[in-house]
Amino acid sequence: MINLPRDISHEKNLSEIILEVENLRVSIETIDKRVEVLRGVNLKLKRGEVTAIVGESGSGKTTLAQAIIGVLDTPPVFIESGEIFFDGIKIFPSNEKINFRGQGINMVFQEPLVSLNPVYTIRKQLEESIEVQGLHMKKKEIEEELSKILSDLMIRDVDRVLNSYPHQLSGGMRQRVAIAMAMIQRPKLLILDEPTTGLDLIVQRKIIQLLLKLKKEFGTTLLIITHDLAVAANMADRMYVMYAGKIVESGTKDQVIKDPLHPYSKMLRDSVPSGYKDSGPLRVTEGNPPDISHLPSGCAFHPRCPLAMEICRKEEPTKKVIEDREVLCWLYDGKQNT
Amino acid sequence: MMGNKILEVKDLEVKFPVRSKLLASKEEKFKIVIEKVSFSIMEGETFGVVGETGSGKSTIAKTLVGINYPSAGEIYLMGRKINFNKKSDLIFLRRNVGIIFQDPVGSLNPKLRIFDIILEGLNFEEKYTKEEKRDKVYAVAKKVGLNESKLFSYPSELSGGEKQRVSLARAIISPKKILILDEPTSSLDVSIQAQILNLLQNLKEELNLTYIFITHDFNVIKYMCDRLGVLYYGRMLEISEVKDAYENPLHPYTKDLMNANITIEGNSGFESETELGEPARNGCIYLNSCRFKMDICNRDPPMIELNSRLVKCWLYDKSQKEDYIKVKGSN
Ligand SMILES: Nc1ncnc2c1ncn2[C@@H]1O[C@H](COP(=O)(O)OP(=O)(O)OP(=O)(O)O)[C@@H](O)[C@H]1O
Ligand SMILES: Nc1ncnc2c1ncn2[C@@H]1O[C@H](COP(=O)(O)OP(=O)(O)OP(=O)(O)O)[C@@H](O)[C@H]1O
Ligand code: SF4
Ligand SMILES: [Mg+2]
Ligand SMILES: [Mg+2]
Repeated sequence: MINLPRDISHEKNLSEIILEVENLRVSIETIDKRVEVLRGVNLKLKRGEVTAIVGESGSGKTTLAQAIIGVLDTPPVFIESGEIFFDGIKIFPSNEKINFRGQGINMVFQEPLVSLNPVYTIRKQLEESIEVQGLHMKKKEIEEELSKILSDLMIRDVDRVLNSYPHQLSGGMRQRVAIAMAMIQRPKLLILDEPTTGLDLIVQRKIIQLLLKLKKEFGTTLLIITHDLAVAANMADRMYVMYAGKIVESGTKDQVIKDPLHPYSKMLRDSVPSGYKDSGPLRVTEGNPPDISHLPSGCAFHPRCPLAMEICRKEEPTKKVIEDREVLCWLYDGKQNT
Repeated sequence: MMGNKILEVKDLEVKFPVRSKLLASKEEKFKIVIEKVSFSIMEGETFGVVGETGSGKSTIAKTLVGINYPSAGEIYLMGRKINFNKKSDLIFLRRNVGIIFQDPVGSLNPKLRIFDIILEGLNFEEKYTKEEKRDKVYAVAKKVGLNESKLFSYPSELSGGEKQRVSLARAIISPKKILILDEPTSSLDVSIQAQILNLLQNLKEELNLTYIFITHDFNVIKYMCDRLGVLYYGRMLEISEVKDAYENPLHPYTKDLMNANITIEGNSGFESETELGEPARNGCIYLNSCRFKMDICNRDPPMIELNSRLVKCWLYDKSQKEDYIKVKGSN
């Protein structure tokens, strides 16, 4: 495995931006049609920050993550156009096949069983993750490293966990092991796809604390993909909201959650119940999530948007920059920075 | 308005046979999944059942519609004791108690059209003509906000929210007193969840329903329910009004859950100290995880009544009063 050189500064300066995705378009091609899943996505992750991508099922979150680490299910899924820079290097498109997994970017998949091999014990898999780094550690050092990472992850009965096979562990424990396996390679960027979905409350809270602790200790940049706004609210510095393959809004966590600009971000926030029973109905409109193979004309959100105007039905909105935030909505036409 | 006790569950026990790999062992082994659970439901209320994966929520739900049979304990519906071995009692139960199953995909027959799936809800009502049945399907589809054009589709052609509307239509096409909602929104996106929650609130008013609402989402419970019961490994540990449970949880487990709950306000600043242990075999089931455990906790605590709340914890036993005050102060 080739790891990226640690401090390089060609093409783009080693800046505070660790990952940049520019105008990424991803399609799924079948015999009779081609469907666009990502329709021009831009993303900028700041070094050491936690960025969350939120959005509903099918909006393209996992596809985006897979495109970044280069594991798209090709065919039928492929990148049509766009550029991806990691740590100053253009990783897509690129002539060399760079393997930047490991110390570069690592990912914990939506279902932790995908990250784990069912036929090996956890010990074997973790040891392998260390060996892959080519650090030639002694047996004893490896053992110490394993104990350290597992106790960081608040796994108490280390030996039992190490000697288990993935299916013998609870969902929360599997998720921790998957995180351990990703972290043990000390990636600069760790992508976590729905890291807490399906886990019990107390375990979910633990995982959140843990990730924030790891980030602090190792300075890892985190990209969290989730459909749970509360998870984003409790972890992220910055947020991106996705709808039908586009980023419709980005800003700091507080901007997006407390003062959303895009009508869809508002709807997401208003959909999460927060009060008691007597607090009145939730403010949502009727309508279903879009079908990516039959997207509505104009703004893809217009059929569900309470504020849709004539132009929204006809033309796709262009990106508006308002102070330090970005929004994709006709309501802000003419209001952007000059 | 809340009225009389409509359903009463007393010391319910449900067990399942455990398959032994040893052919030699002849005697059947059982795993007790629900142990001595008691609660009452008042007419017109929404009673929430919370608990983590495997705590037995669905098992209770399925017992209340006669899919699982209790191995001990009693269930009274509108004052009538249900004998699970009597067909007429089971019909009485199923006529009055409807259910929305946890898995919206698995509970809809993929080979049937939506129209026929909704009709399944009239199984116990043979008195209707074909026309009457058709009218009923259209009327109930309208009630749950399901587009008529979907009635002749198959489940695979529907979105998650639409499937949940179909389950709901099937459950209420014949009038029910109680509707059990087993995680009715956990497979849905939040904006669709919000639509269904609003719909459920409206239907309840319109049809004078009583709800038993099962979920592991604490924001949803808070928003939907009047009272809640906290289930842990088949034991009910606390029953309280929702407001009390959120503002002053009694059981150490309820406290831990409330601490762990995160909201969009972004409240996870403090560390949760709990590390969930295995359920205890002897004594209080929460012993191995509890921050407040005492010597006496090696004995199984009784359900203790405290200001019309119920809590299964020694901290609230009168003889342990000093500790109780200490805990209240530290929350
Ligand atoms: N290999 C594939 N073949 C066909 N369609 C695909 C494939 N991968 C993704 N898609 C489609 O692309 C769209 C985006 O999927 P993606 O998994 O990225 O969404 P997501 O936002 O991660 O959703 P979720 O929250 O459900 O995980 C979906 O409509 C999905 O059905
Ligand atoms: N038919 C059955 N046979 C054997 N064991 C069962 C059966 N149904 C449920 N169980 C077991 O009973 C326990 C409780 O299951 P149940 O489905 O009621 O939990 P739950 O609280 O609904 O969980 P979840 O939140 O995951 O839906 C689990 O350990 C489960 O494996
Ligand atoms: S009975 Fe004891 S161990 Fe159980 S919850 Fe109460 S204090 Fe904790
Ligand atoms: Mg996904
Ligand atoms: Mg269940």
